[in-house]
Amino acid sequence: MSVFESREIFKEVIVGFFNLLGDTPLVADKLMASKMVIRFIYSDPDLAVVVDCSGDAMDVRPDDTDTKALVEMSMKADIAHKFWFGKVNLTMALTRRQMVAKGPIPKILKLLPAIKPSYAMYPKYLDENGYSQYNIH
Amino acid sequence: MLPEFYQFHHPTKVIYGEGLVNDFAHELEELGVKNYFIVSDHVLNGLGLIQQIREGLEEAGFTITGEFYDVPQDASVEAVESISRQATDSGAQGLIAIGGGSVMDATKAANVIFSEGGDLVEDYSGAATLTRTLKPFIAIPTTAGTGSENTIIAMIYDVANKTKLAFSDKYLLPDLAVLDPVMSQSMPPGLTASTGMDALTHAVESYLGVDTSPHSEALAVAAIKYIFKYLVRATQKGDDLDARGGMLIAANMAGSSFSHSMVGCVHAMAHAVGGLTRVPHGVANAILLPHGMEYNFDVCKEKFAELAPVMGVDVTGKSIDEAARGAIAAVRDLGRQLYALDALPVRLRDAGVPEESLPAIAEAATEDGTIVYNPREVMAEEILVHLKNAY
Repeated sequence: MSVFESREIFKEVIVGFFNLLGDTPLVADKLMASKMVIRFIYSDPDLAVVVDCSGDAMDVRPDDTDTKALVEMSMKADIAHKFWFGKVNLTMALTRRQMVAKGPIPKILKLLPAIKPSYAMYPKYLDENGYSQYNIH
Repeated sequence: MLPEFYQFHHPTKVIYGEGLVNDFAHELEELGVKNYFIVSDHVLNGLGLIQQIREGLEEAGFTITGEFYDVPQDASVEAVESISRQATDSGAQGLIAIGGGSVMDATKAANVIFSEGGDLVEDYSGAATLTRTLKPFIAIPTTAGTGSENTIIAMIYDVANKTKLAFSDKYLLPDLAVLDPVMSQSMPPGLTASTGMDALTHAVESYLGVDTSPHSEALAVAAIKYIFKYLVRATQKGDDLDARGGMLIAANMAGSSFSHSMVGCVHAMAHAVGGLTRVPHGVANAILLPHGMEYNFDVCKEKFAELAPVMGVDVTGKSIDEAARGAIAAVRDLGRQLYALDALPVRLRDAGVPEESLPAIAEAATEDGTIVYNPREVMAEEILVHLKNAY
């Protein structure tokens, strides 16, 4: 059984967290410097989210399946959830096909150090926004 | 300490033997197809090496439907598309790559669209984008460096966008790798030395990296042992088939090792040097390897100390620090021996790197994808110190 019981809940959680990252200069500045447009394609529950760093501020667009993204990352929602706890090794997940990355891999890998602070932010975000039932303690 | 999790996946059959390229047709029987398209380069064809292989396969009842010899030094998207198109038009059912890293990478990538159709860049660049086994693919390396015949990676140059595209997928691995020392004996000393040091860099960085595992370590150690035993000999005397064979095996093992555990800051610096100054990848790695080891010294000294005896250092009575320093000195000494043979530069200035480019190289190195595997965070200002030392 997947962690998130519905698409709506998962969308609220993940979009809210991306928006928080966009408002956190420590993370957002480096993501914005990449100028990348990334589409996350989640399954179980199904959801597409575009994180657009090509403008002046990070733009998070759920259900955007039209924008041409430089990178597309596909994974189960549960893997995404674990990833933001810092519990998924991206390269290992790619090797094990838990994630599929379409696009320039070196640019994706380059962002890993930039998003490191977000691993501590995610559990705190869940607790502070009424999603503590999804927290891994 | 054991890793929390790792996996080792190695479906490629590796066969080794002197003169094997004239006698491997029976290995192809189990792949189930008869029509093959050859990808190689004009130099090898000019040496008559392709003709031998073609004749051997034809005598065994296989058909060579066509040949492609125009892979550029940096395997390009255009070359990959041409290979796929020509192989398809010729009625081929499988591909044979005979050459160095560019030829093998181009053929690996070509097999993707040859097997699956579609657009190489749009549909397949990235990691784990394939969903099933591709058409039969045989790799016969003629250099002992990249180990591409044993890696899940193909690097392809996108000329239009001036970027290197990475393709990473277990389905890219060849079905069969044929290691025949006869095929590499025509390599000139400079190329022998630089490709061999590239293989050494793969092995050392894979051994140190954050994703290392017991399997990848074992292969790295064996590769390092062989490189220290055979590289100078192969460079000195190209027709020493034992040395050529030892280096082919070493590069193959180092390839498998880094295909699982990746590389680190030496490659980050070498990619930056190559991108900004066009110094060949193996030469840049050869110069920068001891400096990258210095950079990682504090966090890797135990591992360097483990490698020291493998590199021929007598560690009797030595402390960890002393043994670790011995490993770095051994790598420097190997570089100097190759320099003495006029096969390699040991300083960036001698490779034609302008001094004023060093800050840009340091900056570019910190933006390379390989830094995430380095055991220590890669900082531009600290990397610059080591680049200056290498200058």
